[in-house]
Amino acid sequence: MALENVSVYVEGVALEMSWADPRRNLSEFIFDTVRNALDDAGGSLDGITSVVLAAHDLVDGRSLSSMVTAPAAGAYLRDEIRYGDDGAGAFAAAVTRLEAGECERTIVAAWGRSSEHDVDAVSRTLFDPIFARPLGLEELHISGMRAQDWRRRHGGDSRVAAKQRAAAAARNPRALHKGGFKSAASYPLVEADLPLWGDVAAAMILTTKPTGVRLAGLGQSSEPYWIGDRTLHEATALRQAAERAMREARCKPAEIDIFEIDGLTLYDEAIGLEAIGLAKPGSGLDALAGNEKCNPSGGGAAGYCAPSMGLVRIIESVLQIQGRAGGNQIAAPRRALATGSSVVAGQTQTAVILEAA
Amino acid sequence: MSESELIEIAGQWNFNYNYFAGESASRFFRELRENQRIMGTRCTKCRRLLVPARAFCDACMERTNEWEAVGPEGTLDTFTIITTQFPGLPKPPIVMAYVTLDGADTALINLVHGLDMSDIDKAARRLNSLPRVRTKFIDEPKGRITDFSFELI
Ligand SMILES: [Zn+2]
Repeated sequence: MALENVSVYVEGVALEMSWADPRRNLSEFIFDTVRNALDDAGGSLDGITSVVLAAHDLVDGRSLSSMVTAPAAGAYLRDEIRYGDDGAGAFAAAVTRLEAGECERTIVAAWGRSSEHDVDAVSRTLFDPIFARPLGLEELHISGMRAQDWRRRHGGDSRVAAKQRAAAAARNPRALHKGGFKSAASYPLVEADLPLWGDVAAAMILTTKPTGVRLAGLGQSSEPYWIGDRTLHEATALRQAAERAMREARCKPAEIDIFEIDGLTLYDEAIGLEAIGLAKPGSGLDALAGNEKCNPSGGGAAGYCAPSMGLVRIIESVLQIQGRAGGNQIAAPRRALATGSSVVAGQTQTAVILEAA
Repeated sequence: MSESELIEIAGQWNFNYNYFAGESASRFFRELRENQRIMGTRCTKCRRLLVPARAFCDACMERTNEWEAVGPEGTLDTFTIITTQFPGLPKPPIVMAYVTLDGADTALINLVHGLDMSDIDKAARRLNSLPRVRTKFIDEPKGRITDFSFELI
């Protein structure tokens, strides 16, 4: 429960998608984006007493990676929390600190560098070592089974939605336009459904002092641990997270102007749109294909690396509300819903609603 | 600085672990090895039969108590076909599927064997009909998840 009269506002944002830049090591890569977010917020560190980071040791290839990387994210002489989950979760943790009156300004940052690690090998290590890992399971295989389950029920394929998504990513000035790579697609997924692995850093400055973008609602939820216990063609935890966020923001999907949905593949994004209530079951791909409000950033086709994607989706939403999105700007949006999902296979979900203040 | 002057340092991260499977998984694997059967445990609250067997139901946060065998037949829920080679796994194409074994309330993942994979689309159509499957054990089970796979009936 938030303190009375404490609202959370976005003061500055920054985002980088690039590929294998040998001129910067990981901490220099992080520093650039966090420094840009600080500059976007006016440049000063005054009043920032808290730093919340989303990072993953296996992705970074550095044990206790927060100790290596936190100073590059502004943690020197500040209270630092590292969230071993998606960047939208780190955003939520930062919000609770602000709402609790623990601080007045905070940095939130998330990153992952696909060019430094073997994304498929890391994916295999994420699974249960007793029951799942001996089978060689990867996250993309779960997405493949999710897509198959969805397609069997609803029919259709992703061709038109994939084309639209690629076009949106091409318009997005922040997208990865050079470099990156794709993993092998397992049936029924095809290459256009897959994420474009890139080097991604995202950073944001949050404050309790009014700015042009206000947090209106926030919700989080989790799926069962066992993937065989889940309903794969739906995203139950995301539905619950979005319901909580919309209840808090007192709005319905029809009253939201931008949807930035995080998902490993195009099908995960489509199922996400159904879960939040924008698209009816079976029509998520149609929404991605025909509704310009859905993932105007280009989603996973614009560049992807866990655990930064939820924060990327939030930043894309902020830029839309501020009218600063560039080539992929949608006309005058007032309210946006962004989501972030974690490994393994979207086990935890965060939904965030932002409004023009 | 020119590209050729920039240094890349190769790294590796390779440790050994010993994962304690715990009593429930140990009994589950022993049943695979000794009796070639798949066991589930029933939640004391929601009464679902959870497979593979486990000590607690995370939906109810309650312990499980009764042990029951499921299968050996079941219904395929969903699948994916993997066409890339992974060390230690059979040659691709590989079918990976979630199957709800008869009597179970949750799905179990494993490989599906015995399907003609020369035409992937044809195989996918067959799997898309959610065929009945049965568990098939290897000749000398070792008490591991790889002791069995599914085959179409
Ligand atoms: Zn239960």
